[in-house]
Formats: sequence, structure tokens, C-alpha cells
Amino acid sequence: MTPELFPALITGAALFGIGIYGALSQTNLVMLLMGVELILAGAMVNLVAFWHHLHPDTPAGQMFVLIVMTVMAVEMAVGFGVAIARFRAIGSVEMEEAAELKG
Amino acid sequence: MISVQLFFISFFGLAAVWFAVVVFRTHSMMRSALALLFSQTALGAMFIGMQAEFLGVLQIMMMATEMSIMAIFMVMFMMDPGGLGKMDMTHQKRLSVIAGLVAFVAVVVVAVFADWGPLASSVPDAAQQIEDLGLELLGRSMLIFETAGLTILTAMIAATAVAVEPIKRNRD
Amino acid sequence: MNLIAATILAPLAAALLILLLRRIPLALALSGATVGLLASLGLLADTVAGVSNEIQLPGLPELPLSLVATPLTALLSGLVAVIGGLVVVYAIGYMKRDDEKVRFFATMLLFVAAMQTLVLAGDWILLLAAWELIGLASYLLIGFWYRRPEVKSAATRAFLYTRSADLGLYVAVFILIADAGSSNITTTLNTGGGAATAAGLLLLVAAMGKSAQTPLHDWLQRAMAGPTPVSALLHSATLVAAGAILLIRTAPMLPDEVLLVIGIVGGITTLVTGLIALGERDLKRTLAASTSSQYGLMLVAVGAGVPLAALLHLLAHAFIKSSLFLGAGVFQHSRDSTAFSELHGAGRDRPWIFFGFALAALALTGIPPLSGFFSKDAIIAAALASSYAPLFTSLVLASTLLTGAYMARSLRILWQGNTRHHNIAGLTWMGAGLAGLVILAAILGAAFPAIETIFSDPLPGNNVAVMLGLVAAGVGLTLGWFVPAQRLLGPLRPWSQRGFAIAGGFNTWVVRPALAIARGCERLERALYDEVLALRQLGLNVARGCERLERALYDGALALGRLGLSLGQAVRLGDERGIDGLIFSLVRGMIHLGSRARRLQSGLIHRELAITVVVTALIFATLLIPLLAF
Repeated sequence: MTPELFPALITGAALFGIGIYGALSQTNLVMLLMGVELILAGAMVNLVAFWHHLHPDTPAGQMFVLIVMTVMAVEMAVGFGVAIARFRAIGSVEMEEAAELKG
Repeated sequence: MISVQLFFISFFGLAAVWFAVVVFRTHSMMRSALALLFSQTALGAMFIGMQAEFLGVLQIMMMATEMSIMAIFMVMFMMDPGGLGKMDMTHQKRLSVIAGLVAFVAVVVVAVFADWGPLASSVPDAAQQIEDLGLELLGRSMLIFETAGLTILTAMIAATAVAVEPIKRNRD
Repeated sequence: MNLIAATILAPLAAALLILLLRRIPLALALSGATVGLLASLGLLADTVAGVSNEIQLPGLPELPLSLVATPLTALLSGLVAVIGGLVVVYAIGYMKRDDEKVRFFATMLLFVAAMQTLVLAGDWILLLAAWELIGLASYLLIGFWYRRPEVKSAATRAFLYTRSADLGLYVAVFILIADAGSSNITTTLNTGGGAATAAGLLLLVAAMGKSAQTPLHDWLQRAMAGPTPVSALLHSATLVAAGAILLIRTAPMLPDEVLLVIGIVGGITTLVTGLIALGERDLKRTLAASTSSQYGLMLVAVGAGVPLAALLHLLAHAFIKSSLFLGAGVFQHSRDSTAFSELHGAGRDRPWIFFGFALAALALTGIPPLSGFFSKDAIIAAALASSYAPLFTSLVLASTLLTGAYMARSLRILWQGNTRHHNIAGLTWMGAGLAGLVILAAILGAAFPAIETIFSDPLPGNNVAVMLGLVAAGVGLTLGWFVPAQRLLGPLRPWSQRGFAIAGGFNTWVVRPALAIARGCERLERALYDEVLALRQLGLNVARGCERLERALYDGALALGRLGLSLGQAVRLGDERGIDGLIFSLVRGMIHLGSRARRLQSGLIHRELAITVVVTALIFATLLIPLLAF
């Protein structure tokens, strides 16, 4: 029980939860991407909190955050590329009952 | 007493959470995008508050750009960017809510009840952080970053390839 | 030595030449006989001069063969040569109409050579070999006209008779050689005691066979089936003489008991065969019976202890009997039969021949001055002088009487009857031979004193003997001429005609047993054969059993194979249904599971995301449990 960490960690937890809700519930691809953004953000804030309160001498913590940020960017780029392709294909980015990939 | 730092972190944390909620509650796409932007910015502020200036600035800058692009995409693809239709654009609502709640609770429990060890006493100043970070980058984490760079390249190519309109063969 | 060789080899060479060349048998026979005769006379001259000739040949180890010319052997050799030569002359005429001259003369000369060997033999082994050879020659010659029905059986019978008696000779020789350690005859004559008795008796048995003494006299009767020259040479003078010769030569060795037995045998023979001769209905058979009778006399002489008398009678009888036979041969040719029924008056046809015949007949009866008188006289004297005088003398006198009787009877039959004119081929030759022998038969008596001197053994001379002999002869002649034989014989006639066969005679005692044994052997052989067949059957059964066994094994192997196959099939089924079933049910289960899992793969992204989140959460929870510090 280290109260100093609480705000950041709870924030991170909240963001994580909301992000999951969004990723699972949204029909729109872009909205889904936003949810994923939020998940990653929650992870990031946790990381920074840990770095700050526990290991400030270790730049590896920051390194990690950079990586996560990179992942966020990359994911968003590829996701948007897919969205464009999908939009061109069927004229919409809705994922309502897109069961073409049903195996 | 609560330190100033702690106060600010809490404040920006709340802000981030509130804006995240807004992202999904509003019907308007534009507003969702903007809400996300604000949430991320609040997060950046939190970073700065936790004396990770570089990361914070980076976060804000990146998120700004990203959200802008997202907004553009929103407008491009959404049926109802304005959100005037008030359609419920969600499915499997219950599952998602439960999943979200469960995740939230789990992480909170872990965060609260885990023993994180001794707290650090001091944080090096910004210049020192950046110097350390640079050294770290080019030293121990060289491989990581190179891999990251390669991944970014791949992603760029992939995204471009996916997004490019296929050439119709029977044009001429 | 050369003379001995010539005596034997000349006739032998002639025989072989005749067989090889198959031409000019007559000339070769005559030359062979002549050379042999000359050689033999030379031997005799040598012996008289005191020179002894001898040949020794290598024989068995320690038993060499030898030929000796002693006074006895040389004399006998001369006898054989002379009679042989004259009979060959006669035979040239007798066989003029016969086609098989080659075989005849070859066998005759072979016989002469063998007889010479026997007579001149110095050791027992050579004597035995010659003994056998003369038996063989006799068989061949008796059976010369083998195509005639009774001839073959006569020859076989003669052979059987003499052969069974020869056994005695073999055993006797064995005893003598074993006792003396040498086969030299002169050496073995020193044997004494039990060996001498045994050997003597056995020699008597052999002599009885060869010389046709009772009870072995029948073969000589039947041997008359052969050609008359054969009868003249073999069965009057030489072959039958072999028995007497044997006894004469071994006389020094024989103990008194044996001599008595010899005398008795001779006596019985002379009586029995004399009676047979009286009752005979065939001229040659009469003469044959007469031969047996005369040899019986010789045996009596030996038994009386005077072998010289026997020897003299042997010499005289040889010439006499052969001339009688030669005469009979002429009559045979003129009437084509020898049966008395045919010969009535045959004498009248050929008076000269009949004259010779009658002369010989008188000589046989013992009328002086013919040779037979001297020899018979010697025998009667010997009988009188012996230890069993009454027995022997009566036997001898009875024999003399009977001799006169049957000879007179023959003469009467030959003379009394109608003449028939019949041309005979070769009469000249026959006549020449006959004449020679008759002359010798008549005058030989003159040589007897010389022979006595050679042997330096004075004969018992007895005027009583002379008287008795003459009386008996005279009575016999008269009876024979005037009284028919049937009346003379009286009750003995049927016996006489059956040859005094006792209890079936030779037939019952020898022939039937021999044939029975032969049949028994045949049965035995058949039984053995059946056994062999049974064995064969056994073998076949075993083979069949083995075959069945093999089949059973084969079936067993097949069954085993089938078992294996079914086992394999069962395993296969088990594998297919069991294991494969298991595996396939597993596969089906997996497919089923897969198809169910497929439903997860809804293609709905939100679903997949949800699943991802849930599973990740679960993983995290699992990993983070140890970290929770409750």
C-alpha cells in the first residue's frame, strides 16, 4: 500500500477499463482504434508512475514508454490503412455483422 | 499532506478519465476525437507532473497530430460525423461493460494491494534524464530501438500498400 | 619219366586234337591209342628190367602229386593201353554208321588218359582226381545216345550210384592222409590200427560203387544202354576194375576184419549177380551181371588174402569180357537189338565171330588151357587156403557153376535159331579188334608165371582146387546148355529178374529220399521267398505308413498355416476395427471439436476481441496470483 502511486495507477486502471469497454463494444473501426489507444495510454501512465516513484535512475523505464508510444503510432497507421482498404471495398467501416472472415 | 505534485497528478488523471468516458458517450465523431485528444493531453500533463518532461512533451505532440488525423479519418468514413442521428453504435454492450469493469477492478486491486517496494527518494533533473535516455538508447537499448525503427518502417510500407488503390489492369 | 608222360599225354593230346580239329577223328584216335600203347609197353619193359620211372609234380603244399611205374601199376597201365587200343580199332568199325564220331572218340581217348592217370597215380590226390574224371567220362559215354529215352536216366543213375559210393573214397583218403601225414600211396600203406580199419571199410564202399558190387550192382545193368565199345572198355575191363584195383593196391594195409568183410561182400555179389545173369533176357545185361559176379570173385580173392590172384583174374577177365562184349556188339549190329528174343541164331550168321565169342565164354568159365582157367584156379586155391575156407570155397564154386550156366545159356540161344543175313558195316575193323582180344584172352595164361615172378609172390597151387573148379565148370556148362533158365532158377526167378532188389532197392533207399530232400529244399526256398515277399510287403506298408504320416504332417502344417492366417486376419480386424476405430473416433472427435471451435471463428471482430481480452485476463490472473501479497 503505497498511496503515492495511487492516483496514477488508478487512472491507468480506469483508462484500461474504459479502453476495453470501447474496444469490445464499438462497431466502428475508428472507434475501436480509439479504445485501443486508451488501453495503451493506461499502460503508459502506469509505466511512468512506476518509473517515477520506484526507479527514477533507470532510463529504461522511459525507454519502455517510448516503445509503447511507437506501438501506438504504428498500430494507428496500419489500422487506418486497413480502414481505407475496407472503406474502398464495401463503402463503410462498420463492423456490425462483418462475417466475411468467418472461418 | 498532499504534495503539489500529487495534486496535479490526481487532477490530470481525473481529467483524462473523464474525457475518456466522453469519447464513448458522445454521438458526435468530432467530439469523440477531440475528447480523446484531451484525454491524451491530460496524460501528457501527468507525465510532466511526474517529472518525465521528455515523455510528456512527446506525448502531447504526438497525440495532437494523431488525433488530428483521426478526426480527418472520422469525417471521411463515418456515416454521421456530427452525431446528429443519435444511433446506438455499440454491440455486445453488456459483455463489454462487464469486461471493462472487471479489468478496472482487477488492476485496481493489484495496484492497491501489491507491494511495490521502497519509493525512490529523488528524481534526476530533466537534462540528466535526457542525457541518460540518450545514452540508454544508443547503448543498451540500441537493438530495441533499431527493431522499433524497423517495425515502424514495415508498418509504413504496410499501411501504404494496404491503402493504395489497386491498379486496375484493364485500364487501357 | 617220359614214358609215363607219353602214356598219359598221347591219348589226351589225341582227344584234344579231335575236339579242336573236328576232322579225321579215326586216324587221330588210332594214333593216339597206338602211341600210348607203345609208351605203356615201354614202361612195362622198364619195370621188368627193374628200372623204376617216376614223375613228381608240385601239388598242394607238402602234398605233391606223383606218378609211379611200379610192377603193379605198369602192368595195369599195359592192360589199359592194350584193351584201349583194340577197342578203338573195333570202335572204328562199330561207329561207321554213326554221325557223332568226333564226340565219341574224343571222350573215349579222354577216358583212356584219365584211366592211365588213375592207374599210374602215386599219390591219393591225383588218384582222386582221376577217379572223378573216369566217372565223368563214364557218364558222358553211357549217355552218348542221349536222344534215346532210357539212356539219360541210365547215365544219371550210373553217376548217382558211383558218386554216392565215392564219398567213402574221399573220407578214406582223408583218414589216410591225416594219419600218415603224406599223400603218397606207398607211404600211407603203413597205416595201422583203427585208421586202417576205417579207411579199409570206406575203401570197400568206394570199390563197391565202382565195381558194381551188391547192393550197388544195378547201375552196371543199366549202363548197357551205351554203345558197345563203351561197355567193352569201361564196363568190363577198366572203370569197373578201378574198384578192384583200389583194393588190390591197398591190400597190404587192410586188417583181417576188413578182409573178411571184403570177402563176404564179394561172395554175396558173385552169387546174386550170377543168378541175375542167369535170368536175364538181354545179352549185354547178362554180360554186365557177369562182370559184377567176376569182380565179386576178385574181392573174395582179396578177402582170402591173395591179392595177386585177384590181379591175375582181373587181367584175364578184362580181355575175356571185352571180347565177349565186342562179339555182342557185332550181334547187336546184325540183329539191331541185344535182347535174347531177337538174337536166336545170331551166332550162326557170323560163325567166326561166334567162335571168338564161344572161346571167350569158355575162358570165362575156366576151361584150360585158356587164361581164365589159371586165374580161377588161383582164386579157388586161395579160397581153400584162407582162414574161412568153407565159406569162401563154396561161394567161389557156386559162382563158377553159375558162370558156366549163364554162358552156356547165352551160347545156346545164340546158336539155336534161324539165321538172318544182314550186312554189317565196318565188320573188318570189328573183327580185327575182337580177334586181338580173343587171342590175348586165350594165351594170357602163359604170361602168368612171369607175373608171379615179378611180384615174387607164389600162388597157392592146389590140385583139389583144380578138380573142384573143373567139376563146377563142367556141371554149370551142361546145365546151362540143356536146361532152360527158368527151371534152373526156380523160385528165385522173379527175384532174379527184379535184380534182387531189397525193399525197393536203390529207388527206395537213395533215389526217393534224395528227391524228397530236393523237394523239401524247394519248399524251403519257396517259404524263404514268401518271407522275402512278406518283408517287401512290410517295407511297402512302412512306406505307406510314412506317406500317411507325411500327409498328416503336411495337413498339420497347412492347418498351422491357416491358423496363422486366421490369426493374422483377426489381428488385422482388431487393428482395423479396434485401433483404427479408436484413432478414427479420436479424429472424429477432433474434427467435431474443431467444427465447434470454428464457431469461435465468427469473423466478427468484436467477438474475437472480446475473446482475446477475456483470455488475456485469465492468463494475467494466473500469472499474477503469486504476486498478490494478501
